[in-house]
Amino acid sequence: MLKRNNRRRLFRNITLFLAILGPGIITGSVDNDAGGITTYSVAGALYGYNLIWTLIPSFIVLLVIQEMNARMGIITGKGLADLIRENAGVKITFFIFIGLLLADIGNTTTEFAGVAGSMEVLGVSKYISVPLVGAIIWILVVKGNYKIAEKVFLIFSLSLLVYVVSAIMGKPHWGEIGKAIIKPEMKMNTTTLTMVLGIVGTTIAPWMQFYMQASVIEKGLKIKHYKFVMIDIIVGCVATVVVAFFIMVACASNLHDNGIVINEAKDAAMALKPLAGNISSLVFAFGLFIASIFSATILPLATAFYVCEAFGFEAGIDKKWNEAPEFYNLYTIILVLAVCIILLPNAPLIGITLWTQVINAMLLPVVLICMIVLVNDKKIMGKYVNKPVTNIIGWASIILLIGLSLLLLLTPLFKK
Amino acid sequence: MGNLTTFYFSRLLGCDIFDARENILGSISDVWVQVPPHTDDEAARPKIAGIIIKSGGEKRHVQFTDLQIVKFGTKYKVQCQSLHDVQPELFADGMLLKANILDKQIVDITGRKLVRVNDIRMVAISNGAYAIAVDVGIEGLLRRIGIEIPIKFMVSLFKGRIPSKYILWDDIEAIDFSNLNIKLSKTYSKLHTLHPSDVADIIEELGKSSKTTVFSSLDVEKAADVLEELKDHEQVHIIENLSVEKAADVLEKMPANEAADIIDRLENKRAEELLKEMKKETSDEVRELLEYPNTKVGSLMSTDVLSFNQHSTVEEVLLHIRQQKPDMELLYNFFIVNSKERLIATVSLRDLLISEPASPLKNIMKKKPVSVYDDDPLDSLAEIVSKYNLLAVPVIYENNVLAGMVVVDDILEDLIGKRRTK
Repeated sequence: MLKRNNRRRLFRNITLFLAILGPGIITGSVDNDAGGITTYSVAGALYGYNLIWTLIPSFIVLLVIQEMNARMGIITGKGLADLIRENAGVKITFFIFIGLLLADIGNTTTEFAGVAGSMEVLGVSKYISVPLVGAIIWILVVKGNYKIAEKVFLIFSLSLLVYVVSAIMGKPHWGEIGKAIIKPEMKMNTTTLTMVLGIVGTTIAPWMQFYMQASVIEKGLKIKHYKFVMIDIIVGCVATVVVAFFIMVACASNLHDNGIVINEAKDAAMALKPLAGNISSLVFAFGLFIASIFSATILPLATAFYVCEAFGFEAGIDKKWNEAPEFYNLYTIILVLAVCIILLPNAPLIGITLWTQVINAMLLPVVLICMIVLVNDKKIMGKYVNKPVTNIIGWASIILLIGLSLLLLLTPLFKK
Repeated sequence: MGNLTTFYFSRLLGCDIFDARENILGSISDVWVQVPPHTDDEAARPKIAGIIIKSGGEKRHVQFTDLQIVKFGTKYKVQCQSLHDVQPELFADGMLLKANILDKQIVDITGRKLVRVNDIRMVAISNGAYAIAVDVGIEGLLRRIGIEIPIKFMVSLFKGRIPSKYILWDDIEAIDFSNLNIKLSKTYSKLHTLHPSDVADIIEELGKSSKTTVFSSLDVEKAADVLEELKDHEQVHIIENLSVEKAADVLEKMPANEAADIIDRLENKRAEELLKEMKKETSDEVRELLEYPNTKVGSLMSTDVLSFNQHSTVEEVLLHIRQQKPDMELLYNFFIVNSKERLIATVSLRDLLISEPASPLKNIMKKKPVSVYDDDPLDSLAEIVSKYNLLAVPVIYENNVLAGMVVVDDILEDLIGKRRTK
């Protein structure tokens, strides 16, 4: 009896893993969005190899937080927005989601800045590329099939590995990289601190927690899949850090050594041209383009989803427009706003990036504290509450992040 | 100042409660309501029956007499006569408005979907205070955040209105009782009136613990219908979390091919337990279906069919159907087999209805029927159904013995499923 089950066990295990694969890897990839690439490029160009070490703590914190999200999703079957609303009340939820909405409009704007920048490297005006990409994304989600889009993105996220090519073409000094990781040479001042925060902050953004938990539920994962889920998360986190590493290396070995200062990811692509060759520059721009489109699709969608979930409106791309009007309206508004801001002549991009970072920095501790309280609640999690080790790492990360966030918020005050 | 008739639950929370001599007893942290047992069914609205009071960090579960709620501006003054402590366990019967309703998801029975409660509209009359409706609109949300009045003013400048949306208590079903420590078998009688596919949609959106509680409350017949409508992974989740007995009962009520699909997706140990628990007759059928790979006709076939001898009369057949009361699907097509159980013809429901009661099936049956073999590929089915306009295709073994049939609904479902995963 059930012979074919046995026969197909191996096959099943592989398909099961492929079916589970996704939440961690996609979250990890969206992580390396236009904002992330910019931060890593600037850090590489400015500090050479000396800030690469920050990727190690980032990796640990990212891993711990995503594991908690996945576990909460698996056990409760409820979204993080749901849980916060039900347990922390309407006011905290409102604060979080107004912040999340503002931050994500800002983030989406930076994604379109990435689209504009990468296409400008190829000589395409932003007045053509941005509205076109915006329209394609909107149609893809509203009229198209997101399930297919998600699979395409998974393949796309592999293409972020082009940064490895870009980095190796710049002939990096591996010995120096190793030395810089173990014993970085850096001056502790506010600029450095801001940069370190920027790197950690771009790696762990508040909206990711909601996205991660929602996709775990969407996949219908169970505790018996935990092992596979962990592999997925680890692969995602490793991919995030590896891509970040090579971007920093690419910019460090070409730009830093030649003393070139950049402000945007686009600048990095441009600057690579005379130094590392045309292909290296194009590859860098291509990566930026893919990453920007990827995140510009997922961010507004995810934001509209959590906001509706928290406030009890119908949401989800499997619903029709008249079934979930709030969801689609919100999604469209975020997308249109972001596109319009980019198309403004002299758009205050740096200001938007800065304010987005500030809001994120304020939100992150609130979201994380809600999370760790929820994940330790026996009524919600049963026997799957945090183990002491996870709690120690979790709380330490939270305190560290709050400290860093506060520093980031206060630093500009001291500067003046 | 005066006795007020309607009020909002959110504003009641945190109010101080006074005794007859104006002493503060504590602040209201939750309200316990109970549906009065003897009502004329017309408006079975929950009545405030107790309060959880917080005073000095301690929680007291109390009952009282003569509750009075008086309005002072936007704050309420709550006063009662005598007050006595009761066991917290008592409150498990009935529900707590904050723990079970406010901010939670409930089922909107008329709208057939889950909604989130922003506030609760209550009324105080001479014999007590009642919950009458839940507020699920934006207005309630703004009230909770505390910016209702300024926003209303701003919107009114543009001649707009903030939509308010209430659902009467009769039209809702509370779902989430996980905060009550005591596990009670709650009945969801209003939910049971919904169509199985609506219940399935609602179950899919619930949290994991509520899913199982709501599903377990369904009677076996309804449960089988609902289970059939659930998504694949939800089916597995439900079956894994039910007791083996209950799960087996539900699976028995399902068409064997659907049951086989679900069992095929379970872990071997659990599957074997269930098959042992099920009636032998049903489990044998399921086991047989499990042997077919997913790409073959056999995996989709239903072994439940109505087959007759060609010498039976129309009247006999109709009588048999009347007595057996089979599911709709079984009436899609009837099959005529010979003494060796080999398929020789089919008869449709229309043929039966328009024929003389006394005529034998032999006279009305269609010989040389279209059929498929049990190990034919699934892909062939859609074409056959559409070409010959069939509702159910007979399935035969290699030796022409009737094995079962594949109904058009399942073929369609299979096609849609394939398109979705492509």
